[in-house]
Amino acid sequence: MAELTGGRAAVLKPRLYTWAQDYGVYAAVLALLLFNVLFTPHFLDVSNFRTQLVQVTPIVIVSLGMALVIGTQGIDLSVGSVMALAASLAVLYLGYGWLPALAVALVGGAAAGAAGGALVAYVGVQPIVATLALLVGVRGLANVLVPQLVEFRNPGLIALGSSSVAGVPVIVLIAAALTLVMVFVVRRTTFGRQVVAIGGNRTASELSGLPVKRVLLLVYVISGLLAALAGVLATARLQASDPTSLGLFIELSAITAVVVGGTPLTGGRIRVVSTVMGALLMQLLAATLIKHNLPQSWTQMVQAVIILAAVYATRERR
Amino acid sequence: MKPPIRAAALALAVLLTASACAKQEEPQSAPAPSGTAGQQVVRTPSGSAGPTCTLEKFGGEKFDLTTATVGFSQSEKEANPFRIAETKSIKDEAAKLGIADLKVTNAQSQFSKQITDVQQLIAQGVRLLVIAPLNSDGWEPVLQQAAAKKIPIITVDRQINAEPCADYLTFIGSDFYEQGRRAADRMIEALSGQGKVAILLGAPGNNVTTERTNGFKDRVKEKAPGITISFEQTGEFAREKGQQVTEQLIQSNPDINGIYAENDEMALGAVTALKGAGKEPGDIKIVSVDGTRSAVQAIADGWLHAVIESNPRFGPLAFETARKFLDGEPIPGKVIISDRDYDSGNAEDALGEAY
Repeated sequence: MAELTGGRAAVLKPRLYTWAQDYGVYAAVLALLLFNVLFTPHFLDVSNFRTQLVQVTPIVIVSLGMALVIGTQGIDLSVGSVMALAASLAVLYLGYGWLPALAVALVGGAAAGAAGGALVAYVGVQPIVATLALLVGVRGLANVLVPQLVEFRNPGLIALGSSSVAGVPVIVLIAAALTLVMVFVVRRTTFGRQVVAIGGNRTASELSGLPVKRVLLLVYVISGLLAALAGVLATARLQASDPTSLGLFIELSAITAVVVGGTPLTGGRIRVVSTVMGALLMQLLAATLIKHNLPQSWTQMVQAVIILAAVYATRERR
Repeated sequence: MKPPIRAAALALAVLLTASACAKQEEPQSAPAPSGTAGQQVVRTPSGSAGPTCTLEKFGGEKFDLTTATVGFSQSEKEANPFRIAETKSIKDEAAKLGIADLKVTNAQSQFSKQITDVQQLIAQGVRLLVIAPLNSDGWEPVLQQAAAKKIPIITVDRQINAEPCADYLTFIGSDFYEQGRRAADRMIEALSGQGKVAILLGAPGNNVTTERTNGFKDRVKEKAPGITISFEQTGEFAREKGQQVTEQLIQSNPDINGIYAENDEMALGAVTALKGAGKEPGDIKIVSVDGTRSAVQAIADGWLHAVIESNPRFGPLAFETARKFLDGEPIPGKVIISDRDYDSGNAEDALGEAY
């Protein structure tokens, strides 16, 4: 941005903002790590890092899709319900084996995403309204399909949730791989650039001939797919399908991760790695307070402060 | 407009046919509960607990239950074993007694909806109301309407803050404080009175949570000074939250000896967490409250030490109480049921009675 006029102080202040916007979340994660190393027993154990990474995995995967959606100036409130739908579909089709069940769950997630995307892109419904309808409706559908918690014994699905490769849990590897793919998509592909362009200025994108509607539809399909995958992984880890409570309020955690990571809600910019950092920050914060046996209400209040700080740092400068 | 219609139609088709060709895992072969297995037993013999209520004192008139309209207001979605068993018990017993017109509502955990539900039941002309209240307070408008029509109300599993025999007829349920005390007894026995215990609390701001916590803590304090409660975090009565909190707990407090879970779902989440951390059954003693089928199975498998039952089968006792009341017999202001214990001694035999 233009920093051509004004003295040193005037230049320094925007620079500080830019720095906070770009690296604030990394600094916060580092600070929290340092605090825990000093004050939390057994924090440096390998098992601790495994616990935190495993627990944050569903939120990370959902946040990747959310970052893409927010990049188009949209929002996807349906992700938690899509997780629940995937959980119920997976357990309904488990009789065919875990891979077919996973496939059906992903198709279900993509279909829910397509419904939201079609409403947003082609019918012109506001994203918050379209996905709010899905938040309610898809949760209801998931509950109709599987009305109560179902335990399963399928060894393949249980292994997906609990096995490790070289000490790293499989589901963490999946989340890491997806993060890399998303970085590549956003930075190096035409599709990624189109997403950012549409979020920056939709009218201009339309005028310059970008396939705006198709890109928007695809963005919501991707978000639905990722949410469904997160739902199956969370189900595999719990060793039970629980469509009533799985993914409740995860849309808020995902939006928080994206915002804390410095992606503006006004679109036109997507910060993938920072989004993952935002999710890690929130996980680490919750873990810190639990490990020090502080009530959950404290976590919520500290989270609010962090969100406000992030929004302040990423607000548009005049 | 073609692509959106196509996309929407495709999405709908996929979602609606989703269950058409579903194929679940073969269910685990658990014995089906027989008709009267696990039925509730009254602990306070009727007539001995404080002042009693009669039809005359209440001011109503006798009617025939089988031809009357009866309303049941459930508080939470039937998604957990307790609520499923509770609603089923009321419906089954009504069918058994030949009550032709039973109207059932579900408040889906929204208190304002439960108030409206009950008001609508009253407007539909119910003569008897059985309510599983979501909250204890805020019932005044409903109670006034019911009292004006002299409709007896029986509340089950949770109490409401009002005057028995005046605002409502009676309460049937468990003593949650006592459940906490008995859970403490089993924990003290499991740890021989020495060790560190963590509590997985229920949902915050809920009287079940408060009473199960206080009962446990009071009993530990008076009976086993060697036990310290070093950790308490909410698992919100949910399995996934129970798993996540337990993972954090055992990672940073590897010296913990026992976990008291305030319901079975959290205890089962804790079991998944312990398995994931490479623990063996019995390494950490878990005591919980409820008595669901899965939890009793977990006792048989060695993962849970004991479960204090909280019996949801209110149907027989609720209608029995109503019948006695209409026959002019005295009804106590509180009917406390006696809950059983499950442990390794009876878990396998009792599996068919668990809900």
